[in-house]
Amino acid sequence: MPDVALQQELRIIGFLCNWCSYGGADTAGVSRFKQPTDLRIIRVPCSGRVDPLFVVKALLNGADGVLVSGCHPRDCHYSDGNFYARRRLEMLKRLLPFLGIDDRRFHYTWVSASEGARWQETVTNFTKRLHELGPLQLKKEVSS
Amino acid sequence: MSIEALKETIGKVLKDVDVVIAYKEGFDALHSTPHFITSPEQIDKMIWNPLCVHNLTTYLPSMKNKKVGVVVKGCDSRTIIQFIQEGLIERGKVVVIGIPCKGVISVAKVLKAIDHKPIENISFSDNGDITITSEGEKKVLSLNDVSPDKCTTCQYPTPLIYDHLIGEEIKTEKPAESVYGDIREFEKLSLEERLKYWQGEFDRCIRCYACRNACPMCVCQDSCIAETRDPHWISQRLNLTEKFMFHMIHALHLAGRCVECGECERVCPMGIPVNKLKRKINLDMKELFDYEPGVKLDEKPPMFVFNVEEAKIKEHKI
Amino acid sequence: MAPAGFLSKKRMEDFLKEIGKDALVHVPVLEGNVVVFRPYGQNQTINLERPANAPPKAVIFPQSDTFFTFRFIKDPQDPKKVSVEINPPSDFPEAIIFGCRPCDAKGFKIYDKVYIEANGPDPYYMGRREKTTIITLACPAPSAGCFCTALGGGPAEKDGSDILMTDVGEGFYLEPVTEKGDKLLKAQGVAQLIEDGAKYGQEATKRQKDTHDSVKKPFESINYRDLSRDLFDDDRFWEEMVSKCISCGACTYLCPTCYCFNITDEKTLEQGERLRSWDSCMFKHFTLEASGHNPRPTKFKRYKNRIGHKFLWYPEKYEEIIACCGCGRCIRYCPVSVDISEIVSNLRKTE
Repeated sequence: MPDVALQQELRIIGFLCNWCSYGGADTAGVSRFKQPTDLRIIRVPCSGRVDPLFVVKALLNGADGVLVSGCHPRDCHYSDGNFYARRRLEMLKRLLPFLGIDDRRFHYTWVSASEGARWQETVTNFTKRLHELGPLQLKKEVSS
Repeated sequence: MSIEALKETIGKVLKDVDVVIAYKEGFDALHSTPHFITSPEQIDKMIWNPLCVHNLTTYLPSMKNKKVGVVVKGCDSRTIIQFIQEGLIERGKVVVIGIPCKGVISVAKVLKAIDHKPIENISFSDNGDITITSEGEKKVLSLNDVSPDKCTTCQYPTPLIYDHLIGEEIKTEKPAESVYGDIREFEKLSLEERLKYWQGEFDRCIRCYACRNACPMCVCQDSCIAETRDPHWISQRLNLTEKFMFHMIHALHLAGRCVECGECERVCPMGIPVNKLKRKINLDMKELFDYEPGVKLDEKPPMFVFNVEEAKIKEHKI
Repeated sequence: MAPAGFLSKKRMEDFLKEIGKDALVHVPVLEGNVVVFRPYGQNQTINLERPANAPPKAVIFPQSDTFFTFRFIKDPQDPKKVSVEINPPSDFPEAIIFGCRPCDAKGFKIYDKVYIEANGPDPYYMGRREKTTIITLACPAPSAGCFCTALGGGPAEKDGSDILMTDVGEGFYLEPVTEKGDKLLKAQGVAQLIEDGAKYGQEATKRQKDTHDSVKKPFESINYRDLSRDLFDDDRFWEEMVSKCISCGACTYLCPTCYCFNITDEKTLEQGERLRSWDSCMFKHFTLEASGHNPRPTKFKRYKNRIGHKFLWYPEKYEEIIACCGCGRCIRYCPVSVDISEIVSNLRKTE
C-alpha cells in the first residue's frame, strides 16, 4: 500500500451502491482493513442511479478521480440497474479520453457487501494510480 | 427529380394533413428557410435545391397534436426512424415525403470560399457545380468542396423511411470507413492537445442553446437540465467549466441517439464543432453494440437496453 | 476636437500596444471560421474585414456580472447566529473596444437610456461604460442580413463611437467623435503614431458613401407609429411569420441592443455570489412565474414580444428611438433564417 500520508491528499469521489459496495466499504472498515483516505463516498441506491454526468460534473469541478462501484452483474438489488450502468459507464470511459481527460481517472467496478478485502484492494489501487497521475485541476473559473 | 412532382405530391398530401413542412427562399440568395404550408396557394413558394439544409423533422415532437407532412432528405429520414424507436412520434400522424439527395451546401464553407462577400445570385447545375455571383463576378464552386462533412461521407442519400419518394433512388459510392475518419484522426492527438482543443472551442460558447433547440433528438427542450434551478446542474456563471458542462449534458443525453444530421454544428453562431462529441459516442456504440441510430425500425437505442452478458465490454482492472 | 488623423496599417500593432498600456483592449480575432472579440494579445489574427459574429456588448454589459460576493459566518459561541459578509466587486477596468462596427457602438446608446438615463444610473453598467472607449471601424461592406440604413443608422454612423476609423487602403482615417476619443488620440504615445489625415478625407467620404449605398433597405424608414397594432395583435400573423422559430437564444444573445437579464444567487453552503446574467425572451423560462403560470407560453407570443419591445414599447418610452440597429446578426445566424426586417416590413400599415 502506498504511503499516501506523505503526499498531498487528492479528491476522489466514490459513488457507491447502497446494497453492496457501500456495505463492502463498511465491511472493510469493521474489519479494520487499512485504506487511503482520499476517497469521499456518496451513497446511491444503485449503480444504475449514477448518471454519467455525475462523473463529468465531479471531474470538471475539482475532483481528481471518480470511482463507481455497484453490485456484481446478476446481483443487482433491483435486478437490472447495474446492467444499464455498465453500458453507460463503459460509454463514458471511452468518451473521457476524447475530451482530453485520462480515462484512468475514472474506474467502475463491482464489489459486494461481503467483499471487504476486494474493496480495500480497489480503493487502495485506485488511489495509488491517481497519486501517480497527480491532480487534475480542470476547474476553470474564468473564460478568456 | 422534378420540383413539379414534389409540388404535386405536397398538394395531395396537404388534403390529408394540417401542415406540410418544406423549404422556401430565405432572406438572401444563400439561405433557404423552413416553409409551413397550410393552404394550396402556399405550395408555389416552395423550393428544392442544395440550399435546403435544415432537418425539418426537428419540429415533429412538438407538433403531436397535428397531422404533419414533412419533406426529408436521406439523413433527415434517420430522425424519423429514431423518433419511432423511442416512441416520440406517432407514425400515423406523420406523412414522410422523401427526396433522394446528392448533397447540400454548408453556408459556412461557401462563405469561406468566397471570402465572406455578399452574394447576389446562386445557381446549381446537375453535374454538381455551383455558380455564385458576388460583387458582379461569377465564381464556380464544386458542391463536393462546399458540402458539410456529413455529405462527403454520406451513407444514406435515399431516405430510409418514406410514404412518398420523389425521384430515383440514389446509392452511395462513399466508403463506410470514411464516416468516422475525422474522429479517428482526432484521437491521434495527445490528451493535452485534445483538452486544449475542446477548451478553446467551448470557450466561445454563449449558451444560446441553438444547438440544443435545433437538435431533433433534444426533446426535453424547455425542461432541459441546463436551465433548471432545481436540480442545479449548471449555474449562470459564464466560465469554461459551465460551458463545458453544458456540452457534456448535450452529448451524453444523445449517447447512442444522435442521427448525425449535424444541425447542432450547422446552427452554432460561434462555429463550435458540436457534433463531434456525439459522433465519437456513435462510433463507440457501433463498436460495442453494433448499433447505428436511426437506421432500422425494429431496434432499440443501446442505452435503453442491455445484455446480461455483454460480448464486448470487458471488466476493467486497476 | 483635433482634426482627423491617419494611422498606417503598418503601425496598427504599435497603436494597439500603445493604447493597451493603460487599458484592456478588445479586438476582433479570427478563430477557426468565426470572428470574436478577445483581449488583445499574442498569436492572434485580427480580423477587421467582416463584423464579429458576436458584438462586443459583453465588454460593458457582461454576459454574467458579479454584483457582489458573500460569505455566511457562523458565530462560534452561538452556531445558530449566522452573519453575512458582503464584498462588492473591485473597481472596473479601463477598457477599449477596437474595430467594432457603428451598429455595435449604437447598441450602447440604446442601453444608456435604460441603464443610465431613465431610472438613475445602474452602477455596474455605468462603471464600465464610463471607463470604456469605443474605436469603431466604418463598415467596409455590408454583410448578409444587414439593414442599418433603414433604421436611420449607417455604415459610417458616428453616434455611439468615441473614434471613427475608415479604411482608406494603406491605413485608417481617424475621426475623433467625443472628448474621450479626442483625448485618446492626443495622448503622447498615441499621437506619435498618428499622421495628419487631411489628404485622406475625400477618399474616406467616398468609401463611406459607397458602402452606405450598398446596404439593403427592406423599407425606407420606420417609425413605431407606422406599425399596425391590429396585425401586431393578430395571432395568425405570428403563426405565419415564426412557425419555424426554434426558440433558441441566438438572436437575443448576438443582439447589440438586447439588454434583458436575470439575477441569481450562485452559492455553496458557506459562500456565493449574486450575478446578473443575460436572459433571452425567446426562452420559455423568461416569463415563467413562481405559480407555474406563463404569460408567454408559446414561441409566437415570445417572438411577438421581441418585436414589440424593439419596435413599439421602447420607442414609445424613449423618444421614438427604435431599439434595433440593423446589424443583421439575428438574421444571419438564425438557425432557421427568421428575418426580423421582413417581419417588421410586413407589420407596417398598408396605405
